[in-house]
Amino acid sequence: MNKYRFLLVGSLVAIIAMLALTNSINQRLAEKKIINTNPVVKEKGVESKNEEWAKYYPRQYSSWKKTRENDKIEDLLKKNPQLAVLWAGYGFSKDYNAPRGHANALQSNQNTLRTGAPIDKNTGPMPMACWTCKSPDVPRLFDEIGELEYYTGKWAKRGSEIVNPLGCADCHDSKTSELKLTRPYLKRALQDIGVKLENITHQEMRSLVCAQCHSEYYFKKTAWVDKDGTKKIAKVVTFPWAKGLRAEDMLKYYDDMNFKDWTHKISKAPMLKAQHPGYEIFQTGIHAKRGVSCADCHMPYKQEGAVKFSDHFVRSPMENMANSCMNCHRQEETELRSIVKRKYERKEELMQIVMDNLAKAHLEAGKAWELGATEADMKEILQDIRHSQWKWDYAIASHGSFFHAPEETLRLLAVANETAQNARLKLVRVLAKYGAMNYIAPDFSTKEKAQALAGVPLKKLIEAKKKFKATLLKEWTKQAVEKGLLNMESRKGMSDNASYNTD
Amino acid sequence: MKAKSKNLLICASITAFIIAVGVFIYTLKTSKALSYLSSDPKVCINCHVMNPSYATWQKSSHARVASCVDCHLPRDNHFKKYLSKAKDGWNHSIAFTFNTYGQSIKISDDGAKRVQANCVSCHSKLTETLRENRQKYLGSKHSDFSPERKCWDCHQEVPHGKVRSLTATPNNLGVR
Repeated sequence: MNKYRFLLVGSLVAIIAMLALTNSINQRLAEKKIINTNPVVKEKGVESKNEEWAKYYPRQYSSWKKTRENDKIEDLLKKNPQLAVLWAGYGFSKDYNAPRGHANALQSNQNTLRTGAPIDKNTGPMPMACWTCKSPDVPRLFDEIGELEYYTGKWAKRGSEIVNPLGCADCHDSKTSELKLTRPYLKRALQDIGVKLENITHQEMRSLVCAQCHSEYYFKKTAWVDKDGTKKIAKVVTFPWAKGLRAEDMLKYYDDMNFKDWTHKISKAPMLKAQHPGYEIFQTGIHAKRGVSCADCHMPYKQEGAVKFSDHFVRSPMENMANSCMNCHRQEETELRSIVKRKYERKEELMQIVMDNLAKAHLEAGKAWELGATEADMKEILQDIRHSQWKWDYAIASHGSFFHAPEETLRLLAVANETAQNARLKLVRVLAKYGAMNYIAPDFSTKEKAQALAGVPLKKLIEAKKKFKATLLKEWTKQAVEKGLLNMESRKGMSDNASYNTD
Repeated sequence: MKAKSKNLLICASITAFIIAVGVFIYTLKTSKALSYLSSDPKVCINCHVMNPSYATWQKSSHARVASCVDCHLPRDNHFKKYLSKAKDGWNHSIAFTFNTYGQSIKISDDGAKRVQANCVSCHSKLTETLRENRQKYLGSKHSDFSPERKCWDCHQEVPHGKVRSLTATPNNLGVR
């Protein structure tokens, strides 16, 4: 009988032990399922309020919020006064500051003199497309009203609906939190260059979400008809990638369609503006060729206690070399820093030469027109100026290009200078033809002098802007709060700097 | 014993035994016990408590040359290998059921000895001079350095990195 007693007791003990084990296993399997499910920030639609994401991603939110600290205004028209002459007749001659942190992007857009001082929905110099890279309310509007409707109308049309600063929903899906391309025009541009969207890897996404905005673009006039049958015109953000990503490829793209961003006020040249082709020029550099993505350097992993996450404090890696560069590079930090500094100095040297020559070319062309030069006299010269300024702008408009692709940057500056000099050589002959043998372009060594030459009524612009900020902008904020699109709490502690007043 | 209670006992014990066998099969299924017969690293992460070790290994220098069992189980002897597997399995089950592990899991002494032996086993040519000199000048019986210094006392990053805990790899575990 003992053996049966033993069997009973043994079996009971075994059952209890095994049930204890399987119970703990099942508990942990349930836990694994829960914590491996991405939190749903918003089931349907786009969550454009950044503070709503903070509930689930506090560390990423806090590090993103730190980009507020990068709020100082560096007036680049003061630093490089030639710029006002180079962009005479275009918004950038009015106001141009160094880029600030992402959390300040919307404010920069509202504060810059380039967006002017609208007094109602239908006034102001800029179109709706201007908002596109400044706020997660933009993908929200894409989702709610569609692209074409969004791109129709003046910038002031939806000022009360675009109120949250660049943030979470610009790069992440509101339901699954995954990296997502929220700007359809980038998808179209990728298809233009033969990329299959389904084959994009995670590492490529870590660069492409940045390429949504850090790329060259233009606004393509597109006629369309809405569902009520009304004919409308939309200015659609488009990337000029169809002929290739290099400066010369894009130039061909624009030349082939006789496109110009504006006619230069002084030289009458048909001009192009290169807006920060950061992604495109980065592709030509060694870091891109080694498979490094934007996020690898600009959003390196950060450790807080025992938790490791991507640092969303997007800024120059030079301010965070230990976590950004030294992960891969084994040299001393000081040595690397001095190498980078030298690259910057080389870029500055060539850049100043090109800007001086280009500015003088514009002014000399202006004088030639004044003296009676004809279209035939000036045609080639103006093309040279257009091409030279495009290459210069492409080379340096993305401020990190001297590091991302130093060889390409210096090459473009050199060929830009060659073309500018050629223009000036031709201008010597034209000026001589019309009697001006010793014309020296006027002094443009300060912002005031340069803006005077460019015909920029700075005081008037500032006054009008201040009035706009005190009236219509405040209205927009009020309406946005009423509509539930904006939490005033989220703006607490923000400074309000501009080139015409600093906090 | 009385006949009736004797029958009851026999009945009960056989029933209990059958139930025990049933629970045993259920345990085998839930714990995926049979998968542990293989050497696939994915088996080690049946329990997500091992995910940080898996993730850090995956990104390490040893990712393509050594799997979990290559370092953590004896390589020289089949019997020793399966004995160690059984020992580890038993210890893991206890730790799991009674929740005796913390945020930072440390290898047992026996486990450390095994890993150390495997370092030497793969890197024997590399460590040849070290070991010969050790025997010559320190007269040590153990040519694999234990119990004194382990290879990873200096080579700290290999292969699980210096910082490793249950929250060190949040994307791997789901902790934000």
